[in-house]
Amino acid sequence: MVNLTIDDKQVTVEKDATIYDAAKSAGIKIPILCHDKKLHPFGGCRMCLVEVEQMKGRLIPSCTTPATEGMIVRTSNEEILKARKLVLELLLLKHPVDCPVCDAAGDCDLQNLTYEYGVSKNPLQDEKFRWEIDYINPLIERDMNRCVHCGKCARICDEIVSFGAYTFINRGIDAKMGTAFDGPLDCEFCGSCVSVCPVGALLSRPFKFKARWWSMQKVKTVCSYCGTGCQLTLGVKDNKVLTTIYDENQGFHNGQLCTRGRWGYQFVNSEKRLTTPLIRKGNSLVEAGWDEALALVASKLREAKGAVAGLVTPRLTNEELFLFKKFFTDGLGCESIDHSAGYAHGALTEAAVKGLGQGASPSVIADIQKTDLLLVVKTDAYETHPVLGFEINLGVKRQGVNLRLVSDKKGKLSRLPGAQTLVHTPGSEVTLFNTLTNIIITEKLADAGAAALPGYELLVKGVAGYTPEKGAVATGLGADELTALAREYAAAEKALILLPLGLGYPGHNATLAQALLNLAILTGRIGKEGSGVLFLGEKNNSQGAVDMGIIPGAKGKDAAGIIAGCASGEIKALYIAGENPVVSYPDRKKVEAALEKVGFLVVQDLFLTETAAKADVVLPVCSFAEKDGTFTSVGRNVQKVTKAIKPVGTSKTDFEIFNKLFAEFTGKPLYLSSQAVFAEIAESVPGYAGLTWAKLGSNGIVRPVALSPKFVPVESVVSVPQPGKFALLTGSALNHSGTLSQYGEGPMMVCPEGYVEFGRDDAKKLGLIEKGTVTVTSDAGSVKLQVKLGNRLPAGVLFAPYHFGVNSINTVAVGAPVTWVNVAKAE
Amino acid sequence: MSHAPAKKVATEDAPAEEVDLTAANQIIDKYLTLPGNLMPVLQGIQDSYGFVPPPTVALVAERLNVYPSQIYGVLTFYSQFHLKPRGRYIIRVCVGTACHVQGAERIVETFFGKLGIGHAETSIDLRYTFEKVACLGACGMAPLAMVNDDTYGKMTVQKVDDIIAEYNQRPM
Repeated sequence: MVNLTIDDKQVTVEKDATIYDAAKSAGIKIPILCHDKKLHPFGGCRMCLVEVEQMKGRLIPSCTTPATEGMIVRTSNEEILKARKLVLELLLLKHPVDCPVCDAAGDCDLQNLTYEYGVSKNPLQDEKFRWEIDYINPLIERDMNRCVHCGKCARICDEIVSFGAYTFINRGIDAKMGTAFDGPLDCEFCGSCVSVCPVGALLSRPFKFKARWWSMQKVKTVCSYCGTGCQLTLGVKDNKVLTTIYDENQGFHNGQLCTRGRWGYQFVNSEKRLTTPLIRKGNSLVEAGWDEALALVASKLREAKGAVAGLVTPRLTNEELFLFKKFFTDGLGCESIDHSAGYAHGALTEAAVKGLGQGASPSVIADIQKTDLLLVVKTDAYETHPVLGFEINLGVKRQGVNLRLVSDKKGKLSRLPGAQTLVHTPGSEVTLFNTLTNIIITEKLADAGAAALPGYELLVKGVAGYTPEKGAVATGLGADELTALAREYAAAEKALILLPLGLGYPGHNATLAQALLNLAILTGRIGKEGSGVLFLGEKNNSQGAVDMGIIPGAKGKDAAGIIAGCASGEIKALYIAGENPVVSYPDRKKVEAALEKVGFLVVQDLFLTETAAKADVVLPVCSFAEKDGTFTSVGRNVQKVTKAIKPVGTSKTDFEIFNKLFAEFTGKPLYLSSQAVFAEIAESVPGYAGLTWAKLGSNGIVRPVALSPKFVPVESVVSVPQPGKFALLTGSALNHSGTLSQYGEGPMMVCPEGYVEFGRDDAKKLGLIEKGTVTVTSDAGSVKLQVKLGNRLPAGVLFAPYHFGVNSINTVAVGAPVTWVNVAKAE
Repeated sequence: MSHAPAKKVATEDAPAEEVDLTAANQIIDKYLTLPGNLMPVLQGIQDSYGFVPPPTVALVAERLNVYPSQIYGVLTFYSQFHLKPRGRYIIRVCVGTACHVQGAERIVETFFGKLGIGHAETSIDLRYTFEKVACLGACGMAPLAMVNDDTYGKMTVQKVDDIIAEYNQRPM
């Protein structure tokens, strides 16, 4: 610890603190423009100049100067104020001061400081910059005439995002923030640069001229896309969500958002939102009142006499999911409910239950930066959970985390310093993990306590056949590479495995999860800080859906069984809440046939999705911005969602609808609020005991998990290559999450349609060019898709994202980890 | 002081034909394991190609794991790097103080007129690149011009014609 005096105040800080940090901790405000607590000190703007008694003769930049023992610091006197004023005068010399038409007005550091320091006149004169404004990309307006050269955009893009879109280009008076070849911005569009820009040089185009900063109400809530659980501040005016607002003090991620979190909010006030219930009359869906629609739903569900099934999206709140389950079990007496768990979340619902005794990740998000060795299954972890990708970037670059990737393709994470990517044969992950387990057992690298755990003998027997040599053949990797990875994993003091889950990743199933849990348990990783396994649930409340028991009961059917049951006529009525099986479940043809066959289909959704279009009754529901509740994100963090606007149209929350049906079918009273349901959850759901609405606070609470590790050996199922065919892998595109982001303007501006990605060599052989069209054909069907070229795919491997309703990839992909396809150039 | 107006040095400015990356790859191979290898690699490329062709920037970015933007930042920071093909003969005319008072501006104007190119531009046939420079360190010979490594002192408008006539005869 270091003791110093700032403005006559005694301050004690950590050894690595700067004068600025020390002043901040003592509640003394020093003005800054180029400094950001998330970034390395830069010292570019000189606003933070202070006087240090021991360094008299010049003023000292407080943001880059370490606090040292006995320092006597003065943060404000006449000389300092004059120096700061000069900094502002110099900046205003070039800055256009077009505040009346600048969206940053009100949230502009330069404007605020100019006001604070009363810079009303400028003794200096010069002409302004005349840079062309970048209006070419759809999301970020770049007006370099307003830039103050703080470099924050370039630094955040490098240090945290690891994309590196910007840099200082040119020299002297011509210097500016630019891109490679000074071209238009073409990046991930996470918008981190916009969030840290202290002026209006980088602005959100979708938000342009929508509202003045001070006229918006700021509502803190949680993002409703992926499972990361990023906190979000919504800018609300006239009952509309107009933008997302950056708050550097929010959440574990310090307000960092990804492309969909930042730009995907438009679905909330989309013109495509359903505003009234619809009832099928003949071939068309006709607007109806709520009473009529709900009465029809109730009577049809009664008619079905228990032959009812429910599919619910893990995007709903815990309270809604809890009520949905109660409505089905207590009200309808049905156990056939699912949230596509079998397709996407078997790792939690099956593997973790068997191997750990509870369907949850043993590790938490904070472990990513605390570990020594991070083993990520598939580079896609960046695309599925981009903000966790930022955590990985920071872990590797700042905490010295060793990154190892086992993947069927290379990816952005492969380029991190020291990262090693083992690119294996598609679909050979289980073999790979069983082989690592085998090596660790054979070389006696297992944890001392492992042999005493249940199932150890079975595991030893189970992986005996997975020798490095056999593993090498199956995975296409060298036996030495596998052995080296196994040794490295075993030797690391702390080791964490990340497994992204989702409907695009059928290979990331219970079997694979079990295989990597075996490895983690064998090396004693469970229940230790910085170690273990983190399952990255796909949707915002995937973990919550598992916790609330949205899985089929003993006699119930899972999602696949429900679809089959609808097709066979065994299920008479299907209740779909928020799921879009037509686009997101495997085998579109089969799903469509099943939904057409089922006697009665009710769909509640925000939009008339491909699935809702097939319904007999469609109920319009509220988005996450229109309700209160809780989400449980990756790493078991239970967080509060806050209502920001009134329901759009006559839409109701899923809570209201389930509550009404629950009361009607059970004869019990209505729940009064989400809080009341949460109180019941705290009483009845394991791990939620003791949680209260009030205790959740603004950062949520990581709920505890009781673990009882056990080995459950698994066999790999090898996907036999079909000669002459390509291995098609499905997955997530960076800009999208599930099928919901199709209704967000931002994601669609950047990534508007499905595509199939080729390695450059394969594309050359086939004579394919970027944005050309190909027909992709599997045994199940064929689909026309746009061509995208990349450097990350090995020969013979293709990748296609699954989010899109038009030409959806589930026309060809029917749920196998690898789909073997033919490709033909389409005219 | 005037500022450069908004100007795009887009990749489209590069020659349309494909660039043979063999030489660039060899240069990268040579420096691959050296710390701080970006500068020597870029200098090697410039020596080999006469300029830094944009496709080599993508290659260097990929192989050295540096962002293309950062490479572009380095290339535009140092005046020694050129992103466009340069002429076989680089004509430099000094406009430093001594040369300026001796009428360097008229020499410059004459070159502009005769060559049909301006400052930092290259003739279409890639024979000449013309540059105004601040000082060549031979003020006693002002006004001064240089063509590649040859020096021409006490320049006159007539001498401009002679120089151009001479270099028009030289091989490309």
